[in-house]
Amino acid sequence: MKRFSSILIAATSLACTPSMIAATRPHYGGTLRIGVQTSAQVFEPTASAAPGFRSLTQLVFETLVKLDDRGRPQPLLAASWQVEPGNQRWRFQVRNGVVFSDGIPVDASVAAASLRAANPDWKVFALGDLVMVETSSPMPNLAAELALPRNSISRRNQGALIGTGPFTVTQWDATKQHLTLQANDEYWGGRPFIDSIEADLGKNDRDQLMLMDLGKSDLVEVAPEDIRRAQTGNRLLKASQPMELLALFFTREARSDDEIHLRNALALSIDSAALNNVVFQSAGEPTGALLPNWLSGYGFVYPAGSVATRPRAAHSVAWTLSCDSSDPVARIAADRIVLNAKDAGIALQIVTSDVADIRLVKVALPSADSETALNVLARAFQLPAPTFANSSVGSLYTAETASLQSRRVIPLVYLRTAVAFRSNVHGLKLLPDGSWQLDNVWLSAETP
Amino acid sequence: MSFRRRLLLLFALTVLLSVAAVTVIISTWTRRAFDHANDERTAAFVAQFHREFQNHGEDVSRRVQSIAASAEANRMLVAAAQTAADYSPFLDTAQVIAGAQRLDFLEFADDRGTIISSAQWPAKFGYNDPLVAQSPPGAPFLKEEELPSGPALGLFAIRSTTAVGRRLYIIGGIRLDKSFLAGLNPPAGMSVMLYETLDAEKFSSDHLIFADGASQNPQELEPIIQQVQSTHREARIVIRGGNAGGEIVNAFPLTGDHDQVLGVLLVASSRQVYAELRNQIRVAALLAASAGLILAILLSSWAATRVTRPVEELARAAREVAAGNWNIAVKVKTQDEIGELAESFNSMTRDLLDHRERLVQAERVAAWRELARRLAHELKNPLFPLQLTVENLLRARDQGQQQFDETFRESSATLLSEISNLKNIIARFSDFSKMPQPHFQSVELRELCESAIKLHQAQLTKAGISCNLEISAGNPIAADPELMHRALSNLILNAIEAMPNGGAINLRAGYRQDSVRIEVADTGSGLAPQETAQLFTPYYTSKPHGSGLGLAIVQSIVSDHGGRISVASEPGRGTTFIIELPANRDKLPAAQGTHI
Repeated sequence: MKRFSSILIAATSLACTPSMIAATRPHYGGTLRIGVQTSAQVFEPTASAAPGFRSLTQLVFETLVKLDDRGRPQPLLAASWQVEPGNQRWRFQVRNGVVFSDGIPVDASVAAASLRAANPDWKVFALGDLVMVETSSPMPNLAAELALPRNSISRRNQGALIGTGPFTVTQWDATKQHLTLQANDEYWGGRPFIDSIEADLGKNDRDQLMLMDLGKSDLVEVAPEDIRRAQTGNRLLKASQPMELLALFFTREARSDDEIHLRNALALSIDSAALNNVVFQSAGEPTGALLPNWLSGYGFVYPAGSVATRPRAAHSVAWTLSCDSSDPVARIAADRIVLNAKDAGIALQIVTSDVADIRLVKVALPSADSETALNVLARAFQLPAPTFANSSVGSLYTAETASLQSRRVIPLVYLRTAVAFRSNVHGLKLLPDGSWQLDNVWLSAETP
Repeated sequence: MSFRRRLLLLFALTVLLSVAAVTVIISTWTRRAFDHANDERTAAFVAQFHREFQNHGEDVSRRVQSIAASAEANRMLVAAAQTAADYSPFLDTAQVIAGAQRLDFLEFADDRGTIISSAQWPAKFGYNDPLVAQSPPGAPFLKEEELPSGPALGLFAIRSTTAVGRRLYIIGGIRLDKSFLAGLNPPAGMSVMLYETLDAEKFSSDHLIFADGASQNPQELEPIIQQVQSTHREARIVIRGGNAGGEIVNAFPLTGDHDQVLGVLLVASSRQVYAELRNQIRVAALLAASAGLILAILLSSWAATRVTRPVEELARAAREVAAGNWNIAVKVKTQDEIGELAESFNSMTRDLLDHRERLVQAERVAAWRELARRLAHELKNPLFPLQLTVENLLRARDQGQQQFDETFRESSATLLSEISNLKNIIARFSDFSKMPQPHFQSVELRELCESAIKLHQAQLTKAGISCNLEISAGNPIAADPELMHRALSNLILNAIEAMPNGGAINLRAGYRQDSVRIEVADTGSGLAPQETAQLFTPYYTSKPHGSGLGLAIVQSIVSDHGGRISVASEPGRGTTFIIELPANRDKLPAAQGTHI
């Protein structure tokens, strides 16, 4: 009996082995259908910093350096690099054998030209097979800066921007917001598993989720407020760390201390917790900082409490507030901010025009490197460039606090992003900046 | 104004006033009838509005009641009962249910009034709805609802459901907006508007909701809306609209629970039908007035023909009589007062003719007598010396030849002298009878006067009379220089004779616009009034040896020139003769340049 049982188990194991191998072993082929909320006029790295769009551009355009899960620079198109003392002179060794999708090899001069175009303040030049970067001030995080999408190594070919990534663009229809990518057989890192990617941009995530339920889409970007709802059913879901900042951005500098006090009163009047918990369905975390807690390592929230205990504006003030009119959740958030502000004696009027005193904006975390992220955010919000005494958390906190001093921006909530996908999608990984790593994705035959 | 015109005016006024009075009366009756009908239609429509309002309210109540009984409400109630209420699952619940129930407003609130979910303002979760705390009414009610875009007026109902010891309030409603008004289906010619009384202090046309289209001038509604807001009572206003007739707008207050005016229902009735009717009445009145005027003209012409023609003939005949033509008669056609008047006129003209005939005959006889007297007087003076001379001759023939011869010589001279005197007398009479007609030439007054003075200069000097000449500058006149010279000479001579002891003659001549005035004044003893009256009568003279024809000749000359002569005199203060002559320039031959 025992022998029979052993034989039965062995037979069963043999019978099951091919299917198990087929389900877990990556294999080539197939088309990945993606739905992305962001729309764009051009398919270029600088067109949008939204995670979904960035995930697609990263498949075509690569940088010299990439950041790993902990935000540390890792070689990509640069095989290695060195920095001279003083952090003002860097040399990058360009990887051998890298070619653009049109077959043109990537050498130091091409890479230097690409970086010069993106960073006119830097002195970038080729020295043999080295790319030399010289800056006017010390930049200890220049390697992380080079991981930003805007520093992608690319070149123009008949008007189209081409890169060195694992996929190439075969069709881009800006009118229909449809993108077709094809696997780059000559990719220096090896051909990706899937043959092609069909992406629809600028689509509502609820519609995309419905298409996915109908089997017409494999992977869909999910808005923060829909993360909880998207988790229902048979969908698989991956959510990022909080990496999209919802903030109020004043379109001009404060003209007096009194105005800064009013801006402070506005900041204190807003119930960020309610915004996060209800409007965004707990998809993030309330914040008073430019950097998310997980990245900076410190908390920066405003004191929460009942509306009655919050300070009121010293005198009445009326500002106009604009938000993304195409985003209904943004409108609700703006309405909530108006209500909170009214309690503090501040009259906000929502306008559809971009010409407003305040704009409610969503800004994606630009980098997994804290100092680089703070630098980029400071530029985005027209804040003074932060200065870092050293690489410590204290230095980062001091720099960020100084940036917020002018009250040009009021951080409200840091939101997660998420992606929902079908069970036949394998190998998907979310990067710290919220983008998706698709070059290792492979498709299996879906089991009902 | 002539009698004919007055008659025409009277007829026209009578017709116009009659037509106007009838038009006003008919228009007034029409307007009252229209207003009455409009009041009835408006009242019926307002009653319909209240029924619709009631029906909608009941409908809203039913829907809210069904929501209160739903599982979703129970789920929400359970969630609200938890210590830490989580509103996030219900952020869009109210919106979804409101959409399904066709409600514009829907809010869920717990027993503390905290809003759990709001359809009209999703961001309002966690805030309090004051309505819950104020013992909400059971019946549907009007309420001003605060929205992100601003306040709005709605018809609300509130229901509650209870479980696990907690109460959930469901406040639902529909907006009183354009579609609500359109659902009232106002009858033709009537439109309905709603003013949301969102800011009673200040009128704004943005708060005015129209069922169809927009009012051309919403500002015209401001007074009636403010009146309703202040009095809480219905009001009416008439908006003039030119040819379209305008509108009658009735305004009714829509009040809330506490009798506050939350809205004003405006029912506008077009006056186009009335305006068209009024225009038709006016056109008819205009036609009637025109016909009446034509009739008035015809009637007045006929009446005037019957009444005024005899009067006009009488007037014409009277003018003829006044002009001296007394031999005229008016035809008598009627036996009425006009006919009697015409008969009297004819009788008068006949009497006048008779009187004139008798007067002419009497004057003729008197003239002959005067002529005879003057002739006898004139002729008697030379005849008497002739008689004496002839008697001397007869007597001298008896006294001797020498005596006779001497007497003959003396008598012959006397006889010749007296015969010459007689011939002169006869010549003067002959000249007067043969006064020539003036031959007009261009005459300068100054030259005329100076030549007359110059002629008598020797006599003036001899008589110790000074002559002052005052002649103003002017254009020549048309006159017969010889006749006028003779007239002036006669006047100067007359003045010389009036001042035997010397004096002064003032000869003044002045130009007027179309005439000249010549004055010859002396400083003699003057004339008595009765002398002045007969001064120009032929053969009348106040002088012992005058013929009485001098001034008559002057008058004749002046008269033949179309002028007139007058005299002003006072005893002891001299006499002034005034000649006024027309310029007579039209009587000059072409290119006349002859001066005396």
